Amino acid sequence: MMTTLEALFNEPERHYLRPQELERLGEYINTLPERLELYRQLRDQEIALMQPVADALEKQLPQESMETVKQGIKQSVLVLRYCAMAMLLDDPTLVELRLRGWLPLMIKIHHTQAVDRVLYSLLNNRLTEVFTDQQIRLISPPLQMVQNLFYCEEIGVG
Amino acid sequence: MISVTELLVENPLTGNYFASDVYVKGLIDSGLIENRRGDRLLALPESLIRGLYVSLEQEIGPAAESVLIGCGDRWGKDFYRRFYSGVTEYYGAPLTDLSAAELLWLLQECWKTHGWGELNLDQPYQPEGVLIVETRHSPFISHAPKTNRPMGFLECGILRSFFSQLNGQPLHCVQTTCESLGADCNRFVLGLENCLKRVEAMVESGRSHSDIMQTLVNPS
Repeated sequence: MMTTLEALFNEPERHYLRPQELERLGEYINTLPERLELYRQLRDQEIALMQPVADALEKQLPQESMETVKQGIKQSVLVLRYCAMAMLLDDPTLVELRLRGWLPLMIKIHHTQAVDRVLYSLLNNRLTEVFTDQQIRLISPPLQMVQNLFYCEEIGVG
Repeated sequence: MISVTELLVENPLTGNYFASDVYVKGLIDSGLIENRRGDRLLALPESLIRGLYVSLEQEIGPAAESVLIGCGDRWGKDFYRRFYSGVTEYYGAPLTDLSAAELLWLLQECWKTHGWGELNLDQPYQPEGVLIVETRHSPFISHAPKTNRPMGFLECGILRSFFSQLNGQPLHCVQTTCESLGADCNRFVLGLENCLKRVEAMVESGRSHSDIMQTLVNPS
């Protein structure tokens, strides 16, 4: 697994950053303008991104209760906010650290498994529609981390 | 139609309040560690816990047990207040609005983030009014002197006090298994005092947890 950036800064007293660590930092800095731009877009377009997903979800799942659909949407907005922050920091583990336990609990309590299956597929399509391939590459690692959280809990979304 | 804007205005999003990387904060200049709402936290040396047991035993002998339970009891009252305020403030809802599963999960996360080990609830006897709390990796038990009886007096106090306040009625707590005696976890039986009267005697006579529970729920 890729070293988290934060870990690079932990022990300046022991040694200067090694060449591969500087390289890792350089890679991050090179992608930082793109990360900032994607973060801005995710922030500014949160509603514009999610509203079509919500509309399509309602159409595709007429049998689901309104409350469950709403809860699913709320959870996915939360997930996207954590993913955006993790992408900005280039630290997908942030998603795991903050959502492990919490997200699976919400899914179980509010029975959103069925909604989530459709929702995350719609969300992925929506992201691909709005963002460039490069931007998708940047946001993919935290999104993958979310998928892993689902799989870990054997909820099987995706 | 669902409006995402309205949804987010009506229901501010919340995550894990007790996520360890945001819950614990250090104010280095003033030498304080705090939780995310500014309540002070302390890093407790293991040797201090060991020292407490030894000193209490030397000074007051057998009364140490009730003193430790009393300390745990006071700790539990304050812990409940902090837990209640923190959770209520962050989630914008009183504890009573949370589901039992949410409440338990938050308590487990809180327990872990404070470094007190793991906590689980075993509820097969809930219809009989008895709750079993299991803890693992307890710092208070692992540094207690080794004896032939359960040593989770502090936890007995905190759990009794916490769950009494949560339930709105005074509960009693008896520990039936202990990591210090080689058990897989520490089991604390919580219930009304008159229901648990016999449990203490059964623990002292060395009966197993399952045996005790069977006798408790199927009195002959």
